[in-house]
Amino acid sequence: MAEITAALDETGANKLLDTAIGILPPQSKSGSGSLGPFVASYGVTASLTNGDIDLIPPDIIRIVDLRLDWSLSLSFGFDLSSILPDFCLPRVCVNIPCVGKVCTPKICIDWPTITIPVSFSDFVKATGDFKLDIRLVGNVWKVQALIVGLPNLPFGATTALLLVAIGAAATPILLAIPFIGPFLAIAVNAILLVIGIAGVTGFLGPILTPFISGLKIPIYEQPKLFPVLPSEGPVDPQVDITIDLVTAMVAHNGAEDELVLTADVSP
Amino acid sequence: MQNTLDSRALHRADYYGQRFMKAGNFSYDVVPAGGVAISSDRPFSVKVREGKAKGEMNQHNVVVTWHDGKFRAAPAALTVDTGDMVMWNCNQRDAMTLAVIGDQEFFNSSRLKNESGYSHAFGLPGEYRWVDAHGSKTSGMVTVKDPGCKNEAQLKRWRKTLEEGILVMINDGKVEPSSVEIDVGQTVFFLVVNGPGISITDARVVEYSRGDTGKAEGDRSSAKASAR
Repeated sequence: MAEITAALDETGANKLLDTAIGILPPQSKSGSGSLGPFVASYGVTASLTNGDIDLIPPDIIRIVDLRLDWSLSLSFGFDLSSILPDFCLPRVCVNIPCVGKVCTPKICIDWPTITIPVSFSDFVKATGDFKLDIRLVGNVWKVQALIVGLPNLPFGATTALLLVAIGAAATPILLAIPFIGPFLAIAVNAILLVIGIAGVTGFLGPILTPFISGLKIPIYEQPKLFPVLPSEGPVDPQVDITIDLVTAMVAHNGAEDELVLTADVSP
Repeated sequence: MQNTLDSRALHRADYYGQRFMKAGNFSYDVVPAGGVAISSDRPFSVKVREGKAKGEMNQHNVVVTWHDGKFRAAPAALTVDTGDMVMWNCNQRDAMTLAVIGDQEFFNSSRLKNESGYSHAFGLPGEYRWVDAHGSKTSGMVTVKDPGCKNEAQLKRWRKTLEEGILVMINDGKVEPSSVEIDVGQTVFFLVVNGPGISITDARVVEYSRGDTGKAEGDRSSAKASAR
């Protein structure tokens, strides 16, 4: 049985995956999630950029610093009175000359329900281990890298920045609410406190992790019937070979690790 | 919540006040703002009896509530003495803006005439030039400042200022003082001693409604005033 072997070192594998990841279209999804005690609806678009490849025998392609750029629009509404005490205007009196005093009784005002829309973009880097998945689909051999396990996305400073963005988005909305002006800083802090870092992480994690956890990177596609010589005339037809089997592995070859693709062929 | 400066449309932080100078039975209705001309029901009343010495005034408050698409006044029937002031307010989150309308010309919150008043607590900072939406030249200015509270002590001081009401007296078109400066949350009491029946309305509201249909009405009112 004849065999075709192709081998790529880590530099070559890097280039291959740069291209393969680069042509993945941006992914989008929308839904709703818990942002602290609030329910936020969101729409998110994310795209990937390759990191550094580390080939680990016998079958792992590790991508270090795989970068996920994401752009998030979220919106959450809540009754402001649920996090701020009601505000009371005190009894106010005026003296009317020659007549007497007129007073307005104390008026208590509960805060309205507000909706805060937030737009925020950032990126997160993660390290992911991929295994090669090879299968014949129809008459086409397909090689793709499938992520193994669930990488932990380190949001780090992103959470604080998103909280700042929420505060900034809340400010103009709060400023339009009568009587809240003097309590503006208190109100913004109250919103940020009830969401907190944990709320932001708990919101971002389930939204962004699936962009990586289910990742499939198409690497190679080849029809089972492979033309090796073109037709040279009516009596000299095209010569094809059949690719019977494709296998892939990460092999240690001297000082280098290599991604090795092998095809068994027959006439 | 609404906080528009407009005596024709009373909301939570507004009061309409009316002094009753003559004895009699004054029936009225509380209607959604704008419904003054339509209402003919008069389910509530203020009975005014001859009372104390001239000039002496007591205050009575009527609590307005909004249920099932209707306003209710409590007490529905109120008895006062001549010279007393009755004040109406609806402090309900989901209530429509309202107007108080009686049969007598003087008893109408959308046209403040004699011995009547409108109080408004200003919830947002800014410059409020107010005019009479019915077309007279009566006008004034309220400048509302953000107190810029940075700490608890400043908030406490600001809260104290809220207890200080500002009186603006309007007598035959003369406004005294014509310009006042207050902090957010402070209340201005506009007292109309005598006049043709005016409103205290944010000029921007009038300008906006003139863009639609109000111009003709405003011009007619002016023309009538000139003719008289």
